[in-house]
Amino acid sequence: MNRAILRISLACLAMFVLLLLNINYVQAFETTKLADEPHNVRVFDQQFTYQRGTILANGDGTYLKIAESVPVKGTDIYVRKYPYGTIYAPVTGYDTIYGKTGIEQTENSLLAGTDPRLAVHNFTALLTGKQKQGATVALTISPAAQKAAYQALAADGGHPAALVALDPSTGAVLALASYPSFDPNELTTLNGAKLDKIDRQLLADPRQPLLNRAIQERYPPGSSFKVVTSSAAFSTGKVANPSTTVLAPTVLTLPNGHHLINDGGEVCGNGHPPIIQAFWMSCNTAFGGLGIKLTAPVLRDYSSKFGMNAPLSIPLPVVPSIVPEVQGWTDPSLTAFTAIGQFNDAVTPMQEAMFSAAIANGGTLMKPYLVQRVLGPGLSLIESHTPSVLSQAVSRTVAGYVQSMMFEVTHNPGGTAAATAGPQATGGITIDGKTGTAENGINNGNPNDAVFTCFVPGSNGRPSPIAVGVIVQGGGFGADAAAPIAVAVIKAYLGAHS
Amino acid sequence: MSLAARVDQPVPMPRGRRRTELVMLLFALAVVLLAYGAVGLGLKGKLPAGLPVYVIVFAILMIAGHFAVRRFAPYADPLLLPLAALLNGLGIVMIYRLQESGRNGNPGYLVSPVMSTSAAKLQLVYTGVGIVGLVLVLVLISEARVLQRYTYTLGALGLALLALPALLPSSHSVVNGAKVWIILGGFSIQPGEFARLALAVFFAGYLVSKRDVLALAGRRVLGIDLPRARDLGPVLIAWAASLLILIFETDIGQSALFFGLFVAMLYIATQRTSWLLIGLGLFLAGTFVTASLFHHVGERFTIWLHPFQGSNPLNASYQLVQGLEGMAFGGLFGTGLGHGQPYFTPLVQSDFIFTAFGEELGLVGVMALLLIFGLLVQRGLRAALAVKDPFSKLLAAGLSFVLALQVFVIVGGVSGLIPLTGVTTPFLSQGGSSLVASWILVGLLIRVSDSARKPAPQPIQDEGMTQVVRAG
Repeated sequence: MNRAILRISLACLAMFVLLLLNINYVQAFETTKLADEPHNVRVFDQQFTYQRGTILANGDGTYLKIAESVPVKGTDIYVRKYPYGTIYAPVTGYDTIYGKTGIEQTENSLLAGTDPRLAVHNFTALLTGKQKQGATVALTISPAAQKAAYQALAADGGHPAALVALDPSTGAVLALASYPSFDPNELTTLNGAKLDKIDRQLLADPRQPLLNRAIQERYPPGSSFKVVTSSAAFSTGKVANPSTTVLAPTVLTLPNGHHLINDGGEVCGNGHPPIIQAFWMSCNTAFGGLGIKLTAPVLRDYSSKFGMNAPLSIPLPVVPSIVPEVQGWTDPSLTAFTAIGQFNDAVTPMQEAMFSAAIANGGTLMKPYLVQRVLGPGLSLIESHTPSVLSQAVSRTVAGYVQSMMFEVTHNPGGTAAATAGPQATGGITIDGKTGTAENGINNGNPNDAVFTCFVPGSNGRPSPIAVGVIVQGGGFGADAAAPIAVAVIKAYLGAHS
Repeated sequence: MSLAARVDQPVPMPRGRRRTELVMLLFALAVVLLAYGAVGLGLKGKLPAGLPVYVIVFAILMIAGHFAVRRFAPYADPLLLPLAALLNGLGIVMIYRLQESGRNGNPGYLVSPVMSTSAAKLQLVYTGVGIVGLVLVLVLISEARVLQRYTYTLGALGLALLALPALLPSSHSVVNGAKVWIILGGFSIQPGEFARLALAVFFAGYLVSKRDVLALAGRRVLGIDLPRARDLGPVLIAWAASLLILIFETDIGQSALFFGLFVAMLYIATQRTSWLLIGLGLFLAGTFVTASLFHHVGERFTIWLHPFQGSNPLNASYQLVQGLEGMAFGGLFGTGLGHGQPYFTPLVQSDFIFTAFGEELGLVGVMALLLIFGLLVQRGLRAALAVKDPFSKLLAAGLSFVLALQVFVIVGGVSGLIPLTGVTTPFLSQGGSSLVASWILVGLLIRVSDSARKPAPQPIQDEGMTQVVRAG
């Protein structure tokens, strides 16, 4: 019988080998797939038992904690805290038991410590018996600018509004604020029913506090789009330089017979002003006429060079600002409106900041980014951002032309923002800008949106420190509603960096 | 001849190796002690209050087992007892860990309706009963072959035990949907666990006496010698019985073990591959037919093939998915005892206890467990190979094989290798019947290994002193 017993022994061996192979498959090769199964209750619970990484605002050279996990007394779980709730909510987003947004979502694998680049740290922690820890994410946000931005937006009569500030030479996002905002601390509860209730309240709020207006909402750019139109005119040679005169009648009759007038029916110089004067006075007829000469596809090309018509990830998703190719969009009568930022043009406050950033940086548009560096547990460097060029919007010469025109907007006594962003208003800080007062709604029935795009020019060989875009929904005249917000942010930022 | 003269024999006596057994047993006890401490530290950050009592009682039981082996089976394989003790001890540790954390991690709530708040204590009591079973086997059965006398008695007893739950009313036979129990008063046993042992003895006795007939060749088909048709009777009866268990007791695992045991022993006795093929064919056919006829059998296959499909993870395959996710969560090194969440898996203290080890001890831990089981099986098969008496040989081989098959069926089931069927994990699962039966099984293997390694009886007289007496 021994031969048969040996065969049965082989069968037993085969059964154990199969079991060993299968548990190796489950516990070594399929772990990621099983961890990603929806409803995996262990993976879900785990996120509260480790200290999630901290999010820092690093833009002023200091480290300000804007999101951190703190242990709950008497338990072994951690809860997320946002020390400056509403101010940073559009940046940090939230981390709830049901989902995440903002940096909490885009940098989740690093914050949660599951990123492959943290594998060595996690393994060391396992061996030394220490607890697994998420990585620290340091953002480009300047606490001074961010705080000033939120406070200025909130102080502006309760209009929905948003602001983005960029470092033009690197693309670092210095401020990203939206009003009204929400307090992410209210969403960190571990009680599902309570979270549901708060979530429903926020979603039902007519003021849409969860909407990140700085990057997720589009508004008509209004006259601020004239930055693009004049860039296209200089670059294509349609206009030689800022002193070149352009046709600027009080009433421009369009090919379809409709009339285009300046704001308030204003007269624009002598009807043939140099383009620089048409720009500081923001004459619609001059730029409407230029738009017809340039044609819609050329305008759209130049808007693309400024970063429009394409999605952007900073790494928060930014909705594309657009000159849409709707039916009949090349009709010259409509192109006249496209050229002055009306018709179907739609931009985010982020895009407004990008207009100025490109001009401030000699025509080179740097790719906006939020994550400056990622630090592993023990503060070892895991990732550090290298600035990259998004596009060459215009040549250095053309950028210089546009900059000189934006200078006049705030410095010429007749400039649209001379009173609100001129040297008297800024306390001596030079700000170059462009206002926009965008008509919107059906038959332009809504209150105008106030728009302001601006930057502090570089001096003494130093690059421009900051560019800002602001949109105040229903704020009225751009120079009055939007420009003071930008000025407040610039003052705060320069104050922190002097 | 004097005693001194015998000691001076030139032929060396095979050593009993009882000291090896004791050292290995102490090692196993140390592992259990450390695991127990780790559970306390993992769950509450301090050593469990009952630690000394549990460990001392467990150690006394195991060392009592050791002395019983020393006294009644001095030449037995030195590894069998320590391996079984290690598994038993780790099982109690895991049951304690599950009892302490409670349902979904809420201490004070039972992990499952069939788990009491003193499950670990009960398991320790069952361990005591198991050791008594082991000692009784060693004391009452001096040689395995004495059991051959009770071939048909034990066969009848085995069948009766197997059939009893099916015949009893549900109130006296159903726990958690499985109709495999006998419940009398507050006391319940799973007779199938003992029936398997009784039937192994029956098969061994029956096959040893009939193997010459069963090995006779009939017609030759496709190069395989088929047995004669009239000899098919016993295998058909065994097959029918296993199908009946399957249908009336909704217990696929038990039926697979029962039928696998029979076919393997038939093959060993006759050495005819045709019996294996016929057995396998009958099993597959029976399973296929019942799977298509009975929903509860068919569903097992659906769960096995599509555990993550649609809403399966939340309903039909919830238990399997929880077990798999638990094992995967443990990964290579596990969460550490007391640090995982095995309590999310229904019936984790019995059918799914292996996944709890996978989660908390990791791949390395469960590979070690499988190797311990494998070693136990290997030592049993070794005894079967070495022993001379055919009945003992067949019994030991059959018992070792069914132990391996049981591990394969349950571990393969919970890890998704084969369709899941509810059988206990030997020595690890909560529950007295399985534990006591497992100890009796190990007792029988110890007995056979003792027979196998015992030195041949010395001649009473020296050859030279023999007086040849011739009949005049």
